[in-house]
Amino acid sequence: MIRLVLRRLAQAVPLLLVVSAIIFALLHAVPGGPLAAYLENPNVRPEDVARLRAAYGLDRPLLVQYGSWLAAFLRGDWGMSFADGRPVLTRLLERLPATIELAGIAGVVALVLAIGVAIGSAVNRSFDRVASTVAVAGISLPVFWFGLLLQLLLAHRLGWLPSSGRASFGGSGLTDRLAHLALPVLVLAFVQAAAWSRYLRRALREVLARPFIRAARTRGIPERDILLRHALPNALGPFVTVVLLDAAMLVSGAVVTESVFAWPGIGSLFTEALSKRDYPVLMAFLMLGAAAVVLLNLFADVLVAAIDPRLREPA
Amino acid sequence: MIVPRRAAGAVRRAGLCTLLATSLGVLGACSGEPRRTGPTNDLLIVGYDREPDTMNRYATHILEDIESCVVEGLVTNDEKMNIIPVLAADLPTLANGGVRLRSDGGMDVTWTLRPGVRWHDGVAHTSADVKFTVDAINKGDWKPESVDGFDRITSVDTPDSLTAVVHYKEVYAPYLLQFVRGTLPRHLLEGKDLNTANEYNRAPLGTGPYRVKEWRTGEYILLEKAPDHWRGAEYPRIKQILFRFVTNTTTRINQLKAGEVDMVALVAWDKVRELREVPGLRLNHVVGNGYEHVTLNQRHFPAFADVRVRQALAHAVDRELIVRTVLDGEVEIVNGPVQPLSAAYEPNVRTYPYDITRANALLTEAGWTRGPDGVRTKGGDRLAFTLITQAGFAIRENVAQTLQQSFAAVGADMQVRLMDGTTISSTWFGGDFDAMLHWWQMGADPELTLFFAGDRAPPAGRNINYVNDAALTELLYRSDRTVDAAARNALLREAQRRIAELAPEIVLYNTAKVDAVPATLKHFTGNPTNAGPFWNVHLWEIGKP
Repeated sequence: MIRLVLRRLAQAVPLLLVVSAIIFALLHAVPGGPLAAYLENPNVRPEDVARLRAAYGLDRPLLVQYGSWLAAFLRGDWGMSFADGRPVLTRLLERLPATIELAGIAGVVALVLAIGVAIGSAVNRSFDRVASTVAVAGISLPVFWFGLLLQLLLAHRLGWLPSSGRASFGGSGLTDRLAHLALPVLVLAFVQAAAWSRYLRRALREVLARPFIRAARTRGIPERDILLRHALPNALGPFVTVVLLDAAMLVSGAVVTESVFAWPGIGSLFTEALSKRDYPVLMAFLMLGAAAVVLLNLFADVLVAAIDPRLREPA
Repeated sequence: MIVPRRAAGAVRRAGLCTLLATSLGVLGACSGEPRRTGPTNDLLIVGYDREPDTMNRYATHILEDIESCVVEGLVTNDEKMNIIPVLAADLPTLANGGVRLRSDGGMDVTWTLRPGVRWHDGVAHTSADVKFTVDAINKGDWKPESVDGFDRITSVDTPDSLTAVVHYKEVYAPYLLQFVRGTLPRHLLEGKDLNTANEYNRAPLGTGPYRVKEWRTGEYILLEKAPDHWRGAEYPRIKQILFRFVTNTTTRINQLKAGEVDMVALVAWDKVRELREVPGLRLNHVVGNGYEHVTLNQRHFPAFADVRVRQALAHAVDRELIVRTVLDGEVEIVNGPVQPLSAAYEPNVRTYPYDITRANALLTEAGWTRGPDGVRTKGGDRLAFTLITQAGFAIRENVAQTLQQSFAAVGADMQVRLMDGTTISSTWFGGDFDAMLHWWQMGADPELTLFFAGDRAPPAGRNINYVNDAALTELLYRSDRTVDAAARNALLREAQRRIAELAPEIVLYNTAKVDAVPATLKHFTGNPTNAGPFWNVHLWEIGKP
């Protein structure tokens, strides 16, 4: 197992290098640059734009820019944000807790919902029909639209919840924090649970149709035990991989939700950095995302192997 | 599949319980949020469309609302676009001897500072701060957003603590706005690297009515009343102002409706109607200092080089219809680049009223005849071009569609291409487009050279119509070398008449500014310039509606 982990980690290094080159090239292929917004500003003269281009090193050939970024990155220097001149690492770290809080809670809620709904769907036809309709709606709803709709309804019309933000000004209590979490968690968890429940439902139904389940029934094992102790563990293996891969997406995929709900996480930082073409921040964010996907993928493999010995690779 | 009813029931109950528990948890959390009672003189909450990069006014770009509450300029622009002194005791002019033209072609400007002004740490604001500001910018190792004007200053003399004599190597007409962004405190910043002076850049030392109490990244900036403000201890009237960063436009409007924020500056025109019915809100209108127009790139689409084609297209557009329908009547039609509030505004220019017959006649006269598909051609070329405009801006998309129909009616085929904001900026800068629907937000100074002088096409300027008229160019450069405001404005008026004759672009309407503020907020006037609506924040007060 340790050798597997080490081998996979060693494979991850060249993979991430290639990823870094690709995202660097893609980011710079998008028209506009960090100084494009200055062009609209009557107070910034064309001479100023030329001066700033040189000052930020944007006038150098792309390959040179990539080389110097990579060299610094490998040394652990993530550079300074073009937008506010502060270290990129500081900017990411100060936003990370909010994202972990939101994505973590939304992930757990989604997981509980997905497992509950999948079990319900597997055993009850009418529940399944309702759940399927709701789940398809959840999968197809655009997150920003769903978020704004909930805002209008629950915050504006009914006044039950704050429409956005992480806390009220001056409000530091737990209830205030939970109230602010409610809407973004609801949106993220609902959409995620919709997808996960579909996946797990299908896996469960397949397992429930297998001969060993029928054998268990004939032996008189209670239906509840069959479902929870025999069927569910067998269905969970591939589901764990899906969940862990989605977890990386959940952290970075909260981009839209964070913007809609003015949530001060790295997702809204990314949106902001993207509109400003703040290359150092974008590179760091995307590299973190790529690393998270690689690591969670590896973690999923290890976990699945632990759950299901049949999937262990020959050492 | 056979499932015993009892087991299924148990499982269903478990599932339902999970669902119920989750929803109850969510709903139970709501009770903790107290409904706000609205703004008070203790706290005003502003829903702000972005988080500033920095609070350093010289390093920031475009929006300075929060900064200007903290750091004051020697002058500012009032709601009528007049330049008024703030940290300066008066405005230096040729007439009062504050400006002296030297025989070597340069000029000297003498600023007299307002006595009794102190930085928030109690140190006096002096001419040494003015000199330090110029030196810091001209030293070259710092990255301020703009060095305009500063690059023409050779030195600053400080004969006494309240007098700064600024020596320019050449005549610089917009000299009055040189220190509109204020000064840098020498006693705090001398010897520091301003690029990384984050303590200052995040919470600058100023002389303004407020100082930064807290900046929560991604969430808000909280300003608090600065003690012993120079205007008198009774200013400012409102103790704290909270700027909440809400980048999503719809969310910002929802927050305003839900009473979570008290005011929102610059409401999109198509959102004004839904805010009218919100109780306790006042919608403040000011004429803007910008104009929406269609740029016609003569270099990229040669048909636009013929003035008759440009005039015909201008006649083809029913601007009244656009303003009445798409813009809900929130803006006014204008006819040129200088806006009505400016002292340099010229109202009597040639206009292009909606007139299809005239438009058709002009195009025929220019040699463009209708082909079988209704589109005009000339020597094998079709009168077909592409208009670029910003995506995600509903008003622009609708106006672009109207333009498309208007032009089709006179035999011009226009396609519309939507681009994101940053992409479109670099596209026009590269000159790679036929026509563009956009606005220019003009500086407080009425300079037009950068937009219309023949040699000011990018990268040397913003003349993206690529208009090149010798008479106009000469007029514009002459205005730049004229320090006397009345004489300069006379030249700029002549330039506006010439621009209207040439019709280098199709001018649509003024970019009015609508701010949504509490009905109880007194002394809020808005501001057409980039001084922003917070220019007189020290006077603001919550009173009776």
